[in-house]
Amino acid sequence: MAYFLAQGNVFFEMLLVIIFIIVAPILGGLISGFDRVITARMQGRQGPPLLQPFYDFIKLLGKERITLNQTQAVFILGYLFFAISGFVMLVMGLDLLMLVFVLAFSAVSFILGAMSLRSPFSKIGGQREILQLLSYEPVLIIMAFGVYKVTGSFAITEIFVYGKPLIFSLPLVFFAFLYVLTIKLRKSPFDFSTSHHGHQELVKGITTEFSGPQLALIELTHWYEIVLLMGLIAHFCVKPFWVGILLAVGAYFLEIVIDNISARVTWKWMLKATAILGVGVATINIVWLYVAK
Amino acid sequence: MLAFCGFEIFREYYICERGLILELLLLLLAIFIPLAGALICLIFKNEVLRKITVLLSSAGLAGVAIALAYLLSQHGGSFVFYSEDFPAFLPWVLKIADIALLITLLGIGFKLKKPFVIFLTAVQFIGQIYLEFFSGYKEVAGDILFKLDFLSLVMILVVSIVGPLIVIFALGYMPEHEKHQHMKKSRQPRFFFILLLFLSAMNALVTINDLSWMYFLWEITTLCSFLLISHDKSEISIKNATRALWMNSIGGVAFVSANIIFSKLGTLQISELITDKGLISPLFYIAVAFLCFAGFTKAAQFPFQSWLLGAMVAPTPVSALLHSSTMVKAGVYLIVRFAPAITGTVLGDWVSLVGGFTFVAAAAIAISQRDAKRVLAYSTISNLGLIICCAGIGNWLATTAAILLIMFHAISKGLLFLCVGTIEHGIGSRNIEDMQGLFKRMPFTTTVAVIGMISMLLPPFGVLLTKWMAMESAVNQPILLLVIALGSAFTVAFWAKWLGIILTMSYKKHYNTETIKKSVEFSLAALLTGVLLLAIGLVPLFDYLVKPYLLSINSKVGVPVNEILIIMLFVILLMLVFFILRFSSKFKSKNLRAPYMCGENTEDIRGIEFMGPAESKDEVVVHNYYLDGVFGEGRLTVLTSIISASGILIMFGVVVEKWLIS
Amino acid sequence: MGIMSRSRAKSPWVVHYACTSCNGCDIEVIACLTPVFDLERFGIVNVGNPKHADVLLVSGSANHKSARVIKNLYDQMPEPKVVVAIGVCAATGGVFADCYNVNGGIETIIPVDVFVPGCCPKPEAIIDGIVQAAGILATKKLKKR
Repeated sequence: MAYFLAQGNVFFEMLLVIIFIIVAPILGGLISGFDRVITARMQGRQGPPLLQPFYDFIKLLGKERITLNQTQAVFILGYLFFAISGFVMLVMGLDLLMLVFVLAFSAVSFILGAMSLRSPFSKIGGQREILQLLSYEPVLIIMAFGVYKVTGSFAITEIFVYGKPLIFSLPLVFFAFLYVLTIKLRKSPFDFSTSHHGHQELVKGITTEFSGPQLALIELTHWYEIVLLMGLIAHFCVKPFWVGILLAVGAYFLEIVIDNISARVTWKWMLKATAILGVGVATINIVWLYVAK
Repeated sequence: MLAFCGFEIFREYYICERGLILELLLLLLAIFIPLAGALICLIFKNEVLRKITVLLSSAGLAGVAIALAYLLSQHGGSFVFYSEDFPAFLPWVLKIADIALLITLLGIGFKLKKPFVIFLTAVQFIGQIYLEFFSGYKEVAGDILFKLDFLSLVMILVVSIVGPLIVIFALGYMPEHEKHQHMKKSRQPRFFFILLLFLSAMNALVTINDLSWMYFLWEITTLCSFLLISHDKSEISIKNATRALWMNSIGGVAFVSANIIFSKLGTLQISELITDKGLISPLFYIAVAFLCFAGFTKAAQFPFQSWLLGAMVAPTPVSALLHSSTMVKAGVYLIVRFAPAITGTVLGDWVSLVGGFTFVAAAAIAISQRDAKRVLAYSTISNLGLIICCAGIGNWLATTAAILLIMFHAISKGLLFLCVGTIEHGIGSRNIEDMQGLFKRMPFTTTVAVIGMISMLLPPFGVLLTKWMAMESAVNQPILLLVIALGSAFTVAFWAKWLGIILTMSYKKHYNTETIKKSVEFSLAALLTGVLLLAIGLVPLFDYLVKPYLLSINSKVGVPVNEILIIMLFVILLMLVFFILRFSSKFKSKNLRAPYMCGENTEDIRGIEFMGPAESKDEVVVHNYYLDGVFGEGRLTVLTSIISASGILIMFGVVVEKWLIS
Repeated sequence: MGIMSRSRAKSPWVVHYACTSCNGCDIEVIACLTPVFDLERFGIVNVGNPKHADVLLVSGSANHKSARVIKNLYDQMPEPKVVVAIGVCAATGGVFADCYNVNGGIETIIPVDVFVPGCCPKPEAIIDGIVQAAGILATKKLKKR
């Protein structure tokens, strides 16, 4: 997607980036809507209309602005801005490892926002979010290494130059990525810092004390994250790109299924499980790539 | 005054023919200004005179360092000063001073009744006597005494700019500290004497080209560390200082062994040892392994980490100066200096493994720590491990990461230690849990501490960017990649937990202006400015300070990081700061609500109490997770120390085996 | 209907509080969330947190101890908000209206918008009440800041 930049046409590149920034949350909201409808049908009920996430978002924007202290809104802005930065980095095909760190900054901003409030639910939710970060961060970094090992560079544009589908060389890394995707998308069994839809965990966990416009921005950031993660999955097969998109859609559907069939776990379980099935499995993949050289 | 006299004598009798007289003068000033200041502080006990001396020495030292930086950038390459240009009695000064120092250490060993210390010092004594008098090693013409290249310059800048700021902080901190300790007679003269003496020794250590001189200066820093850790003269401080002494003495023994081997190979000149391919033999690698081992002990790598943790009982300026910004950097400096000699070898691989393992182990244990200084200590050990890991990898990006991390870590960690010291005096506790709501009581210190912690944790600040560079440079070693990835995740965990607590605040219309001593405020503000400037100016730093060094060791050079990325991220940070100020000013208290406590809030909207059973008021207490079961110090220390010790033994085994079979 | 009013009507988030209820009404409210009655098709989500909610569902009569709690929850909800009183106890005190510790219905503490009578009301009646409340929510305007 840095096609225009490669041609030296900064204007078109910027235009493309702006279009993506506007389209991404709409896409994210629609995916979220499909999520709720499919979940409802799986549970044998009708479920909300497809555009429900957008109604929720607009309603939240119109709520009274209440807050606990004067800094919490800024942390949410940090969460949003850095998530958008990460998304822009993906669109422009920049360094994958730096993208992982920018996403970590985004997550830390949210955690700090929740932990800076004098609320038991918010603080413990923040602690649990840190544990989630501890679980998925190594896997994302190892995924970046895997991509480097295969394409020879950390730059996402090189994945397009490389040509062959990454999933052939990185199947276990892909599996580990799907495993931690559950954490990032806040789905059972790993939705234990906060949960979605009608579920509750620690009341609303990390989002307990954010309401109205702040909660709307958290939702918005979540939509950007959904599109970013789907985009990352899609990059596992870029030629032809429609296969990558199919991969992403299939992965998300799998996540919905797993969400509906599993119960929430404790942090010990999550750390152990991601250590073995995330870090361990991905490392095996990397090691065989080195040995094969 | 002393320096000027010295210079006059020098100029009259020994004219430097090679035309670098100004540079030599500046270098000598860098060594003698703090020495002079130290002696004045020791001899004259007047407090005002002490303050003036410290301020003048600091300004002088910083000025000299900046002048040297300017001159070296103009000149390029390095400044070389030959031994023959110095007075002929200088080697004898070294021999006598060495013996005096070792006898002092022996004396300490006897006074403390520690046979192990006596044994180690005696071994060093015998080794040094052998080397100086019986080994037949002689200096030759063309021997270089001081070599000031860009790596030395980086270290001088760190020592001469961060160091004085910490000493200025101590001016305001120590009177308060002595009041808390109920000391009847002030020990500040001794304290400032040792601090300034230490700065002098460090400046000399990083520019000296002769390993026997370096050993002497190395042991001076060990002595300074011992004296400063035991400053309070309490039982626990003496015990911890003794532990620091014997662990560093083990490193001293290794250093002497390395020197003896090098003398057998023909030279003690660092510049020759690194570049002369003819010297490379199995014996050479054993000696370098010994030097790396000395670096490990000085930098408190596992299994030698307990001395640094024990050193946290010392007053805060000691922890900031010696045990995070400068003395421990001497250890990694030595390894980075010898990195070109071990790049690509098996020794280099194992050095980076030991460093990398320490990086992840220390970061893991830091998660379970509640004492703020212990968290900072483990974080220091962790970052030093990363620097050593990069030095072991040795390609251009890794070397860049190592040198930049030295700078960024020294300034950020020094700042954080000073903040913790100030906070400790403000609230009387070092426990992280007691730092909730700190912004109300100490807004300035809290802000500085928060920015300092963010600079250790997040992009676009230097520490994270160097971690990223380290990862990108380690791409050919999967085990290192895994280790750095895990360590990176653990690092985020413990910083985020602490940041969350220290940022906890309820809305207050008016905040206290903090009562803070001027010297403390000045040093915190100056270090904070330094942190921000260095972070924004990462690419210029690379261009002016690191690239010339890389070129001098004939390494490849590239572009470490995209400048635009740094600027973009800083712009976002600036936007967030703008929003903080805007939201704070437009805040309406009618928008305030209490936190959710299932309806059981009391009238206090801050939510610090709730209505318990039988209509009683109870305090709300929420603590962090410390995960003792997984990351507990007791659990992990034994295991990680065994693994790290095995790594070091394997490192030696590899080089010794190569020598034995040759 | 403007887009904001329409969104408010289509996304009424609920927080449920049992005042001094016998939990009969509460069981019926939970039943509404099950697939048979499916509240979510109206966009209704049971968030347990007053700060996220638009609709406060109250069951049970008012006494002075729970009055403190319900006032606290009501104050923590951001505008615009509606209150639905479920069951006769919440409306008037029900069978307990003459007890020494009961002050009457919920409207003695907070303003109520919709009453759903019954002991206990059927899930269909409860859903009807919440949907009416959502309609009222759509007409409420946020006061000028």
